Amino acid sequence: MSAIIRFDHVSKKYKLHADRPRAFTQLFVRAMQGQWRAPADEFWALRDLCFEIPKGQMVGIIGPNGSGKTTALKLMSNILRPTHGQVDVRATVAGLIGLGAGFHPDLTGRENVYLNGSLMGLSRREVERRFDDIVGFAEIGDFIDVQLRRYSTGMQVRLGFGVAVNVDAEIILADEVLAVGDEAFQRKCLDRIRQLRSEGRTVIFVSHDVATVELMCDRVLVLSSGRLVEDGPTAKAVQRYHILMAARHE
Amino acid sequence: MFNQIRLILRYRHAIRNIAVRDLKVRYSNSALGIVWSFFNPLLMTLVYTVVFTFMLRDSGVPKYPVYILAGLLPWNFFNLATLGAISAVTANSPLIGRLYFPREILPISIVASNAINFLIALVLLFAFIVIYRVPLTLYVLWLPILLLIQIILSIGVALFLSAIHVFFRDTQQIMEVLLLAWFFVTPILYPLERIREATRPFVLLLNPLAALIVNYRNILYAGAPPNLGVLAATFVEALLALIVGFAIFHRLSPAFAEEL
Repeated sequence: MSAIIRFDHVSKKYKLHADRPRAFTQLFVRAMQGQWRAPADEFWALRDLCFEIPKGQMVGIIGPNGSGKTTALKLMSNILRPTHGQVDVRATVAGLIGLGAGFHPDLTGRENVYLNGSLMGLSRREVERRFDDIVGFAEIGDFIDVQLRRYSTGMQVRLGFGVAVNVDAEIILADEVLAVGDEAFQRKCLDRIRQLRSEGRTVIFVSHDVATVELMCDRVLVLSSGRLVEDGPTAKAVQRYHILMAARHE
Repeated sequence: MFNQIRLILRYRHAIRNIAVRDLKVRYSNSALGIVWSFFNPLLMTLVYTVVFTFMLRDSGVPKYPVYILAGLLPWNFFNLATLGAISAVTANSPLIGRLYFPREILPISIVASNAINFLIALVLLFAFIVIYRVPLTLYVLWLPILLLIQIILSIGVALFLSAIHVFFRDTQQIMEVLLLAWFFVTPILYPLERIREATRPFVLLLNPLAALIVNYRNILYAGAPPNLGVLAATFVEALLALIVGFAIFHRLSPAFAEEL
């Protein structure tokens, strides 16, 4: 099977330019002092990542905080560009990364669904066709015509999730999606993700909840300090992760 | 570059939705709603008319309210579109960090919502045209062309400023001062004829807003044809602004997510 996501020696460097001029006035002062550029501190979030993910796989990414999981997802969705190497993604991506991102507090739930859907590239008619599914999934009911500012946090998250899983993208990126929402809704989300997977979608699942990752994924990538330290079947990778975490605590 | 343009066109629904969001938020947050579109230019017209026809010696411009509105409304459109677009990218940082879409649609939507606002405000101008019995000629049919040139220019400036603002956060303050200066060097409150004759060609050539407003007045106030030579030059300038703005935005936008 051909790879739907391909990372070829991918590295990502962030510049921690606390010292870069952030305003024209600052730039002017610097120029007067004759120092245009202060040397920037660098931070490598990912180093030399190589992997391929075939269509239809459910892949978990685990690793300690700051190991580069979210950066990897952002590279997959084209939000970030790699510093070195190449990222190849041959399909449409639904960013689950930002649950509820793109929602506006002054607009109603309905208006927000249309806005969010269009930001994922859907036309008005395409959103219309999915509208009932989205609202049904999110269990919003009559609140759909109420301004979003009156929603509870849970309702906002559910609506965001409802849009993201209904846009028909081939790749679903789930970044800590289960951190919010009650138990019943979490189960519903997992069921929905499994269903998408059975329809042949590719799911990338990032979580600190190793138990859920074990339950859901066929394959797991373990990241540590921006490097890929393990890539293989779930059981083996999770074991490696536990060893890694134990070593950290010593 | 052409791929990017095709991508932007595919997101036209998003442009419309963001523009509508902008208008809805602007109007529904105030009890008077859409009345504000008229109220601000109406009040400014009143002030300028009192100042320039009663307090100062009469400017000698007949039907002054029509005259002032024909210049003020296009200026307001440009002014609000550029000032609004400056923060179009930075204000949407939660979106940019989490969702991929062509970033260009953010400043473009701001120009779109202000264009709609301009069209609404034009009703006021036409009301004054009727009240003051300014004869309308067929030259008014040039209006869509003028509007198109102004939109092209505004999008170019909007793309440039919104991208720069991500890296230099005092762009807003700088532009507020520059736009105020721009307002006074543009013949809005005074006729082009008050400018020294030797200077006029430079003003029309170097200031696309002056060229546009002179032509808006030709077709809406004087019942005269537009100055085609000036209009052609302005069109070229607007296209240049669009190309440069687009190129700079395109070059800087991959770094937006990291910078915000």
